[in-house]
Amino acid sequence: MPRSWSSSMAAVWAVLRKECRSEWRTRYGLNAALLFAVASLAAVSFSAGRLGERTDVLAALFWIVLLFATLASMSHAFVRETENRTMLLLRLVASPTEIALGKLLFNLVFLLVVEVAIVPLFMVLMSAPPPRWGSFLTVLGLGTVSLAASSTLVGAVIAQTRGRGALFAGVSLPLLLPVLAAAVSGTKAQWIGVGLDGEIRLLIAYAVALLGMSLLLYEHLWED
Amino acid sequence: MTAAGMVTTPQTVSLSAIGLTHRYGRRIALQPLEFELTSPGVVAVTGANGSGKSTLLRIVAGILRPSGGALSFALLGKGIKPLERRHAIGLATPELAFYEEFTARENLAFLAETRALAQPGQAVQNALECVQLETRADDRVADYSSGMKQRLRLASAILHRPAVLLLDEPGGHLDAEGRAVVERIVRQESTRSLVLLATNDPEEMRLATKLVELNGRGLGGPS
Repeated sequence: MPRSWSSSMAAVWAVLRKECRSEWRTRYGLNAALLFAVASLAAVSFSAGRLGERTDVLAALFWIVLLFATLASMSHAFVRETENRTMLLLRLVASPTEIALGKLLFNLVFLLVVEVAIVPLFMVLMSAPPPRWGSFLTVLGLGTVSLAASSTLVGAVIAQTRGRGALFAGVSLPLLLPVLAAAVSGTKAQWIGVGLDGEIRLLIAYAVALLGMSLLLYEHLWED
Repeated sequence: MTAAGMVTTPQTVSLSAIGLTHRYGRRIALQPLEFELTSPGVVAVTGANGSGKSTLLRIVAGILRPSGGALSFALLGKGIKPLERRHAIGLATPELAFYEEFTARENLAFLAETRALAQPGQAVQNALECVQLETRADDRVADYSSGMKQRLRLASAILHRPAVLLLDEPGGHLDAEGRAVVERIVRQESTRSLVLLATNDPEEMRLATKLVELNGRGLGGPS
């Protein structure tokens, strides 16, 4: 009795709406992400001053702030279901793929909201040179997709294990290093005005590979 | 079942188990079991604590893969794979928890939307009225008593009028009025569905027309 495409999309949409409503009610991730971003940028700004000339440091700092501000919250999209014992409820109404896609979309929305706050803050506090918006947003968008896909996948895999915190860091690191390397390099390249085709190709390939692998794995996530 | 995933007419369901068994690690949770059941009707699943009543219901629901044997689940003669059974079953079990930051109505609306029911608002209202929760439907679940949460579990199980209704200790935490609600739901659903009641309560067992007795040694079972 497989579901129709429209019914599956309705389930994905319902999970996304549920996640957004839950985040809005609890502010579980958003407050923590914004607090981390503001505090870390302010601390760097006070201690190192303006880094306008150091585009290599700026690019690395930007992605470090974005990564650490959002990673813990994104993994919690699944972990929260396990800790609150609501995973069974979800499994009774939607397939693992529908649940995971809903949570992936939520993580994308979450990242976009955090980025809307962090990007202008970063530019002002760090006195970063004006970005080449087309290239900058392309790198940011592709990095965002990879970040959301990897943290959703790892969050789903570790949700029902013991020692989730340690596992999340250990499993995420090798998945995220190529994304971070390409995103930092691409962000720096757009500031100094050199070509970044290689970085963009790598980010596209990685995002596609992560999404494809996720879609293959999700259906087998919770087979007891 | 309609395209929206909602059962509106009586459905013939057949369940048959052959040598069905389950282990959690080395511990035997469900001793080898055989049965054949068809809808409509009420079947009481009884047995000592730890004999595998909840495990059996989870296997029927398709959320637990048995360690041995086979369970076939057919709707209108067509076999349904475990992952697809969620469309045909409703499960109320003590392990079922809800989103505490949402109200009961919001929780049920989420389930109705995820199940892509044709008229989610109406289905939610009907389920709330059926378990007599409508006056507290807009309170957050965090403020609910354990009895009210149990009523919400029952509402979530009947929301989509499933072909198989799985009730695990349905009278748990309920007062006399709540137990009457359970009895009414079981009688009502049993005219069109197959109702499996995991219970050791004599009052609930009285509702059943058939009995599946689990022979596991429960708390004293072998490890």
